[in-house]
Amino acid sequence: MILSWIAAALSRMVSYGTPLLLGTLGEIYAERSGVLNLGVEGMMILGAVSAFATAYTTGNPWLALLAAAAAGGLSSLIHGFFSISLRANQVISGLALTMFGLGLSGLFGKGFAGLPLDNPLPKVTVPLLAEVPLLGTALFQDKSPLIYLGILLTPVLWFLLFRTSLGVNIRSVGENPAAADAAGLNVWRIRYGCVFFGGVMAGLAGGFLSVAYRPAWTQGMTSGMGWIVVALTIFASWNPTRGLFGAYFFGLLFYLSYRLQPWLAPEILQMAPYLGAVLALVLINLFQKRKGGPEALMEPYKRGEK
Amino acid sequence: MFSTKLKLAVSVLLICILSIYFVGAVAQSAEDETMKAAFIYVGPVGDYGWSHAHDVARKKVDEQFDWLETVYVESVDEAACEATIDQVVRDGADVVFTTSFGFMDPTVKAAEKHPETIFFHCSGVKRAPNLGTYFAELHQTYYLNGLMAGALTESDQLGYVGAFPTPEVKRHINAFAIGAREVNPEAEVQVRWINDWYNPAAAKEATQALISAGVDALAFTEDSPTVLQVAQEEGAIGFSHYSPMYRFAKDATVSGQLVDWAVLYEDILMKIREGIYTSDNLEDVDYWWMLKEGAAEIGAKGDIPINPKYVEKLKEKQVEDPLLGKLSVFELIQKRLEQMKAERVLFDPFIGPLYSRGGRQILQQNEWATHDQLWQMQWAVEGVVGPWPGEPKS
Repeated sequence: MILSWIAAALSRMVSYGTPLLLGTLGEIYAERSGVLNLGVEGMMILGAVSAFATAYTTGNPWLALLAAAAAGGLSSLIHGFFSISLRANQVISGLALTMFGLGLSGLFGKGFAGLPLDNPLPKVTVPLLAEVPLLGTALFQDKSPLIYLGILLTPVLWFLLFRTSLGVNIRSVGENPAAADAAGLNVWRIRYGCVFFGGVMAGLAGGFLSVAYRPAWTQGMTSGMGWIVVALTIFASWNPTRGLFGAYFFGLLFYLSYRLQPWLAPEILQMAPYLGAVLALVLINLFQKRKGGPEALMEPYKRGEK
Repeated sequence: MFSTKLKLAVSVLLICILSIYFVGAVAQSAEDETMKAAFIYVGPVGDYGWSHAHDVARKKVDEQFDWLETVYVESVDEAACEATIDQVVRDGADVVFTTSFGFMDPTVKAAEKHPETIFFHCSGVKRAPNLGTYFAELHQTYYLNGLMAGALTESDQLGYVGAFPTPEVKRHINAFAIGAREVNPEAEVQVRWINDWYNPAAAKEATQALISAGVDALAFTEDSPTVLQVAQEEGAIGFSHYSPMYRFAKDATVSGQLVDWAVLYEDILMKIREGIYTSDNLEDVDYWWMLKEGAAEIGAKGDIPINPKYVEKLKEKQVEDPLLGKLSVFELIQKRLEQMKAERVLFDPFIGPLYSRGGRQILQQNEWATHDQLWQMQWAVEGVVGPWPGEPKS
C-alpha cells in the first residue's frame, strides 16, 4: 500500500517535473551567458501551440516536437535582438516576449481549441530498468521519451558547462563580457547561442505539455509554468544538476499538495518551492564569496564601454 | 548608437502595441436598425469551458437574429472590467453581458454611469433598473450524474476536482454526493481544490492524486477536459463539464452537465427587442434556469445523454425508492429527469431530511431548500470527504 503510494508519487514527480526541468536547463544556459530571459512562459506556450498544430495536421508527434523547438528558438531571437543587439532592458524585453507569446499563441491556436489529439507522443518502457521494484515502475514504465531526455541531458549539460572550454567561454561571457571580449571571444555570438538554446528548451517543454502530458490545446495552458522555471533557475543556483533536483522537488511537492490535501493545507506545500528559491538566494549570498548569479546578468554589453 | 532611454521607450511602446493588438476588442459602429450586444468574458474563448460555452451561445444568437450584431472581449481581468464596459458602450453597445461573478461590482458601477444601456450580469446577485441577472444552474444535473457515479463505482470512492470553494461549487459537490448516496449509501466523495478556474496541470495532478487514493469515478469544476483525459488514461470514469467533452475521452465519459446559454440569451435579447425589457424595469429580472427551461442538460455530448457503454450496467442496478418503488438506476434517472423538467417541478436534490456532515439538520422532512439557501450554500452533506474551506462550525 505505502509502496504503491510512493511509486505513484515518484511517477508524478518526473511527469510534472519534466517540462520544468527542460525549461530550467535552457534558462540556466541563457542566464549563464548573462541574459535574463523572462519570456520563458511566452516561448513555452508558442512551443505548445506549434506542437499541437503540427501533431494535429501531420499526425506525427515527433515532427511536433521539432516544431515546438523551432518555435521556442525563433521566438527567443526576438528577445536576443532587443536585449543583445539593441541592448534594451532585459526585464522589459523578456516580459514583452511573454505577452507576445501568450497573445500570438491564442490567435494562432483558435482553430485548434477543443480538438482531441489521436496521436499523442507514444510512451516508452525501458527494458530491464522497468523491472527494478519501486523505482523501475515509477521512473521507467510507460514514460514519455521527453522524461528520459531530461534525465539524460542534465549531466551532459552540466559537463558542458563546467568541464569544457565551451562552458568556460559561456560562463566568462556571463561574468565579465569585457574581459571575454578582450580574450578574443565573440560575446555576441555566445549570448545569441545561449538564448536560442534556452528558447529551444522552453519550446520543447511546451511541446511536452500539448502532445504528451495532456494532449490538447487550450489557450493559456502553460498556466504560469514559465515563471516557475525562472524561479527554479535561481533555486538551482544556475547549475544543471541542481536544476534537476529543483524541478523534481517542485514536481513532487505539486503532486503532494493534492495527494495530502485532506491532511495538510495545500497552500503550505505549494508555497514551499518559492520559499526554497528565496532561501537559496539568501544562503548563496550569505555563504558564498561571490554573488549568486552570473556577475554580468542583465547587463547589456557594448564594446569599449565600462 | 541608441540611448538607453530611447530603447526603454521603444520597448514599452512595443509592449503596449502588442497587448492592445492581442487583447483586441474590435468594434464597429452600429446601424440604426441593428441591436448591438457586447459580451465580456473572464477567460479566453479557447478555454473549452466556461467562456467557450458563452461564446458558442453568442455565435448562435448572432446567426439566428438578423437584427443582432455581437462583439466580445475575452480574457478580461476583474480590474479592467469597468474600463472595458465603458469602451464597448462608447463603441455603441446597446446591451452588455458580463459573464463572471467577479464582474458584479464593476457592472453595477457601469450601469449607474450608463443609464441608457441595458446590462445583464451572469451569476451575480445585484440588480438595478437597467441591470438584470441570469444564470444556468447545474445542481440538478450534478445530482443525476451522482446517481450514475454511485451505481457505476466499484470502489465506492468518488472524486471531485473543485476550482474554488464557492457556494456554487459546494452546491454542485453536495448535489453529486446526494445523488451518489441515493443509489449507493456506501459511496463517498473525496474533494480536492485546485484554487483556479482554469489550470490543466493542477487538474491533472489532482486527478492523479484522487485515483491514487482509490477513486474510480470523477466529477469536476475546471474549464478544460483534463480530468476526463486522465480518467481515460487510468481506466476511471467521469462526467463532462459545461462543454461536451466526449471526444476527448470516449470510454471514460459517462455523461455530464451541459449548458445551453443560447436559450437564455435568446430569451433576454428577444424581450429587449420587443420592448418588454427596457433600461428601467430590470430591477427584478433574475433568470435562474435549469433543466426545465432547457438551459441545463445531461450528456457526454449533445446527442449522447448517457454513454451507451454504461447503459446496461445502469439498467442492471436495482434500487428501492420510498415513492417510486423498486426500479433500476436507469429508470430512476429518467424519472427524475421527468420530475425536474415538469412544468411544476416535482423534485429537487435538496429536499429534507438533509443533514450536514457535521450532523446538523439543515432541512426538515419534505422541506425544499430555498433559492437563498442554495445560493449561499456553505455546508457539506454527509458523504463528502476532505477539506472544506468556510465550513460552518456546527
